[in-house]
Amino acid sequence: MISNIYKGEYRLLLIFPLILIIASLYLLPTLKMGMDFRGGTLITLQVSNQPDAAAVQNDLMAAGFDANVKLYESELGRKMEIEVSQTEQMYEADALKAEFNTQLEKVAQLEAEANQNASREEEYEAERDKLDEMADRMFELSGSNTEAELYPNLNGLKTAFNEAYMKMSDLQMGQVMEVVDQSVQYTSKSAVTVSPALSKHFIEQAFNVVLYSAILSTILVFFFFRTLVPSLAVLTGAASDVIIALGAMCYFGIPLTLPSFAALLMLVGFSLDTDVLLTTRLVKRRGDPRENAFDAMKTGMTMSFSAMVAFLVLFGVSMITHITVYYEISAVALAGLVGDVFATWGLNAVMVLWWKEHETKRVSR
Amino acid sequence: MIDAKKILAALVLLFAAVIYFYPVFAGLFLMLALIIFGGLSHFWHGKELKMMCLGAIIFLALFNVGLHGMKFGIDFSGGTRIPVILESPASSTLMDEMVNTIKKRASAFGLTEVKVRAVGETQINVEVPSSDPEFIKSVEDVLARQGVYIGIVDGKESMRGDYILPGTIYRVPPQALRGEDWGVSFSVNREGAEHFAEAVKGKANYPIYMFLDRPNDAVVVATWEELKGESTLVDETGMKNAMAECLRLDGNEIGLHLYNGDLGNLTPKTNRTKAVISKTLSEQIGGQLEAKGFQLQIVEDSDIAPKFLMSNDVQGILIEEWKAVGLLSSPRLSPSITTGIPNYGYQIGGMAEGTGTQKTQNAYNNERKIESILKGGALPIQISIGSKTIIPAPLGEEFLKLSILGLGLSLVAISLLVSLRYRKVSILFPIIAISVSEMIILLSVIGSFTIDLAGMAGIIAAIGVGVDSQIVITDELLKKEGTKDEKLAKAFEIVTTTVTVAVFAMVPLLFSGMVEIIGFAISTILGALLGLLISRPAYAAIIEGVGD
Repeated sequence: MISNIYKGEYRLLLIFPLILIIASLYLLPTLKMGMDFRGGTLITLQVSNQPDAAAVQNDLMAAGFDANVKLYESELGRKMEIEVSQTEQMYEADALKAEFNTQLEKVAQLEAEANQNASREEEYEAERDKLDEMADRMFELSGSNTEAELYPNLNGLKTAFNEAYMKMSDLQMGQVMEVVDQSVQYTSKSAVTVSPALSKHFIEQAFNVVLYSAILSTILVFFFFRTLVPSLAVLTGAASDVIIALGAMCYFGIPLTLPSFAALLMLVGFSLDTDVLLTTRLVKRRGDPRENAFDAMKTGMTMSFSAMVAFLVLFGVSMITHITVYYEISAVALAGLVGDVFATWGLNAVMVLWWKEHETKRVSR
Repeated sequence: MIDAKKILAALVLLFAAVIYFYPVFAGLFLMLALIIFGGLSHFWHGKELKMMCLGAIIFLALFNVGLHGMKFGIDFSGGTRIPVILESPASSTLMDEMVNTIKKRASAFGLTEVKVRAVGETQINVEVPSSDPEFIKSVEDVLARQGVYIGIVDGKESMRGDYILPGTIYRVPPQALRGEDWGVSFSVNREGAEHFAEAVKGKANYPIYMFLDRPNDAVVVATWEELKGESTLVDETGMKNAMAECLRLDGNEIGLHLYNGDLGNLTPKTNRTKAVISKTLSEQIGGQLEAKGFQLQIVEDSDIAPKFLMSNDVQGILIEEWKAVGLLSSPRLSPSITTGIPNYGYQIGGMAEGTGTQKTQNAYNNERKIESILKGGALPIQISIGSKTIIPAPLGEEFLKLSILGLGLSLVAISLLVSLRYRKVSILFPIIAISVSEMIILLSVIGSFTIDLAGMAGIIAAIGVGVDSQIVITDELLKKEGTKDEKLAKAFEIVTTTVTVAVFAMVPLLFSGMVEIIGFAISTILGALLGLLISRPAYAAIIEGVGD
């Protein structure tokens, strides 16, 4: 039987979580943003020859693309994943599109007014020129052989503009595939694009989710414990867990995507679970707090292990199938569960134990 | 005791019936059943009753799977994901409208298994369970189709969607309506104003036939009974004249063939001439028409009959609407715009039928209809099609097989872990039994929506996290001090707190609209809730003896 780690100078236990947290904070700036939050295109190919992923990546880099190429070998065939970041031109095109849509409405309104009231004519002409400039820039970006002057009709201009915008993403894809085609033979091709607008939306949503989730958890924790220190300890435990998980993502190069984000959120819930278990047993129970802490640890470790086992299996499945969603969820969850062991039993437990013993002393005096 | 059992049996029958009759809502009903039976098993005492509540849930879950099967996302079933890109961001109400319209378009195409869902504010994903390139192409065409509006006056095209300035189509606010119940205003460009002024000069009170996607080079083939529909008018000649009148367009008239058992010498003008025909009639003579060289354009039976209107003036019988040919409305030209002087702003309006809220609703519907015709179709925002993802069916099957294997493996591994920890069959067996039950319920509930990759990951994970409630209860019961009831109460306190906290941490994700990971959120939340509602009382009931 393992002996009680909380006997003796238990404050030494703080060392482990603190090291992990400091290391994680140090690594945090290197966190890789995945496609969902950064925008870009992911091309998946079922490959039929033996291409060299590194060579393809170098070729793409040489052609001016910020690309990341991976080749997966499995019983299900050979799969190549090419991730291409959003190019500067795409960012410009996206911004241009938003501006164009706003300007278009303005111009349409002015055209209607100018038709009935000649004094608005000048203003209309000026705004229309601005609109034409935007359209011409888009035509230039997309390599469309046309110009705004050819479309006196606003509907016509709008259609041409949007065609040009769509052409841009096709164009980029075409250029990428031109490079890829030189060395890769494939039987099927899929592509997913996250536009700058969509990635911006994801970032905003993720931020909101984190905010609401944090507020709800804090309120609930304070509601259940109604004492400051234990509540703070529980929240510190959960926050440390997420920081450690993020640190592991940096260290192992797991990108922050929607699935890994979901896994992080689940970790908050799980981490709170063990923290609540520990804190309840320590705060609301009689008897030796150190014994109670160790008891809680035994239960908590069983919980952690059973969760780890499930995610380990998921991780195994992701290794065989190369399903990225599985990999990102399971890898982040595993890292977080390991982190949780340290955060809960090294940090949270020490905080609550110290508080409990001091309070007991105060009361007995 | 007997009463409780009767109530239970009645509830099970009730839920089984709604699951049977409303497959679309089966998942929601299962969740409701979970909450009700979960609540009852807390409220009811006695091991037997608690067990029966668990049994009832499992029965309903299995019943649902057996009856309706499970739905899998294209990652598992194979298929194609087509992103539809919106030209400008949509508000959430507008987005709902877009999603519904695209769904309608797809279902009109016979694509019932199509999934349409919004991703962010500028994208809608359409998932089709097929990877046949030709089929996908035709879906893309249906999705991207933008309607073309034309207005015809006295057989001449007088107005076109192209003339209308983008963004100038508005519903007229009530205070600006002059004596009418509803109105839609719009502005046209110079070319349009001049063209319209000339085309309608001197045609006061003529109807302007507003078409959306009027078929070019077509002939309507229908029986008189079909055309007459439910109309109570008796003037057959008048009705026929009215139909001929609204089909008229200089140089591009739509023909009308009254079918009375014989196609006669009806021949297509070109090799692309369409025969517009009802579903029912096409079953009868579709083959003959195709043999003559027609292309069939089959419409719903209810759309083949025009809507006749008896007007009070010289125009006599008018056609108000004829969906088969895309005629959607025929307002009259006000004398003030038929003087030949170009006008740049127009308003279409009218009176609404009914009284009170009914009237308001009708007025609103009319406005919406005219607005959407002028905008060239039902989609309020123009769209384009992005690059698609294809998942070959065999690959999807393989993914599913391995994932289910993972599910089983996860169950075995956790059983092993628990048996190592407790080394007691009396504890091990109930834990495994309940984990299996949880898995069945999860698969059934989530399978009645859609199991996608994130959802499957969530289910596998839920097995590991769901067992936590049982571990907490077991450890409490194995303690030496305290009575059994005290120990159980303590265990329940912890489980309730942890589950509440875990659920609330995930809930914001559920409402974030990030569809890719909502499946994961649902299975994690449901997994936690199952721990609280079902496994907690049932497990405690089974294992009651352990602490003694």
